[in-house]
Amino acid sequence: MISVKKVNNRPLNLLERIYVWEIARGLLVTMRHFFVNLVNPKGLPTIQYPEQPIPLPGNARLRTRHRLKMRADGAPKCVACFLCQTACPALCIHIEAAEHPENLVEKYPAVFNIDLARCVMCGMCVEACPEDAIAMDTGEIPGGAVVREELLMTKENLLRNLPGEPSLVGAANRLANEYLRGKE
Amino acid sequence: MTDFFYENRDVLLFAGAAAAKLLFFLGAVMGFTGLMTLAERKVSALMQDRIGPNRAAVCGLTLGGLFHPVADAIKMIFKEDFVPGRAEKLLFTLAPLFALVPVLALFAVIPFGDYVLVYGYRVDLLIADLPLGLFFVLALSGLAIYGTFLAGWASKNNFSLLGALRGAAQMISYEVVLGLTLVGLLMIYGTADLQQLVRAQGKLLFGCVPAWGVVCQPFAFVLFLTAAIAENKRGPFDLVEGESEIIGYFMEYSSMRFAAFMFAEFAEIVLVAMLAATLFFGGWQVPYLYDAGFAFPGGGSMPLNHYLVAVLQTGAFAAKTVFFCWFLLVVRWTLPRFRFDQLMKLCWKTVLPLALLNILVTGAVLLALGKL
Repeated sequence: MISVKKVNNRPLNLLERIYVWEIARGLLVTMRHFFVNLVNPKGLPTIQYPEQPIPLPGNARLRTRHRLKMRADGAPKCVACFLCQTACPALCIHIEAAEHPENLVEKYPAVFNIDLARCVMCGMCVEACPEDAIAMDTGEIPGGAVVREELLMTKENLLRNLPGEPSLVGAANRLANEYLRGKE
Repeated sequence: MTDFFYENRDVLLFAGAAAAKLLFFLGAVMGFTGLMTLAERKVSALMQDRIGPNRAAVCGLTLGGLFHPVADAIKMIFKEDFVPGRAEKLLFTLAPLFALVPVLALFAVIPFGDYVLVYGYRVDLLIADLPLGLFFVLALSGLAIYGTFLAGWASKNNFSLLGALRGAAQMISYEVVLGLTLVGLLMIYGTADLQQLVRAQGKLLFGCVPAWGVVCQPFAFVLFLTAAIAENKRGPFDLVEGESEIIGYFMEYSSMRFAAFMFAEFAEIVLVAMLAATLFFGGWQVPYLYDAGFAFPGGGSMPLNHYLVAVLQTGAFAAKTVFFCWFLLVVRWTLPRFRFDQLMKLCWKTVLPLALLNILVTGAVLLALGKL
């Protein structure tokens, strides 16, 4: 059922048809804004964004800048499985995998780059990660940059744990490694 | 050599004074016009609770956006100077000049002060003292139509031509009104010399109110402002080239040719503001300020230095100009745009009869007072 909104257009009265008085009223509105803002420019709602960060609501589930989670020894939780790189629609993740001499069950990322200039902040990499190694919960919104290289996040920039976060070492991995060493 | 200077003393003095006035006045006008491009964006921003441009910086110094006109100019200069393949090259090049030159020429007849005595030599503070300055204004503003129409015609683009047709129709219509609104002033002050007109506005009515045009002809002032804004193609009448909605006559123009049109438009704002100040708000007159200083109607007086009086009067003219420029910007950013048929209806069916009525009433009053 289409709802019909009845607009009651009354005919203009003489004062409105003369138009000059209405113009004066309109001008008064804009002039008031002009002078109020001229006298008190601090009252303007504009935020000078990159210099002046926006406070984010504390409990908001936002997709903010990425980070790679760390284990207790500072190594990345990432096992370089390339699932995030495959899932990424913007092709902004670049991973180069390497083998660890001691850890026999996993690879690790020798290079893990996220090009924020390409990233669309969709969060597909977080969804895809089987190790829960990549997260978008830093609370930082990537702003603009003058040089493109500033927007290229490397592994060193990305690796960090949030304060108070327990650094986990996968118990299953430890057991698997011990098992494999015993077989040698 | 000395003889040559001595024999041609008057001519040389005149030429020197004219050159100095040109440098001073036209320089001030051009600089102010450049600032108007920034002022338009800043004023509109403040009216809409925004900040406006403030990012252009030299050595990290922004000065509240003061470098934006410079940045605009640099951008315009480095843009591609494009001429459509089918355009008439000569007319296409001439059109921006036709838009710009009449506007700049009109500043010559605007009196920006009374006179100064420099070592006994009297310098009238206007560039060209024409006895028929008012008609010069009307004639040259009629010439500005050529810029609009040539631009649309020479582009060989149907949409440009349609924009030019709209523009020409609008400008010609409102020119009629513009002329008629000023007839009342001519009848009251009895002169078409702008300097004499301003001097006549320095007299007092009833011994206390300055005889400014707006006091004698308040109705004509409203009509004049309407017609002048329409003639200027701005404010609610900017349907000739509404930048983002309606295709206008300079669609095919880029680079500095386009900048010439824009500069002409902003110079016209300054011109309209100056004309409104000169014709209706006493030009350089400060109320109760005369050659010798202030003389208040109550009997009090305050003698002032001749140069101080000249500076005060020129300052008053500048202040009035700035006020009207600001007012035109506020009008432009407040009122919604007219439709073309509304525009024409307003001109021929409302403003023109009212202007004629104004002349009739003015004539009747003057006749009744026995001054005709």
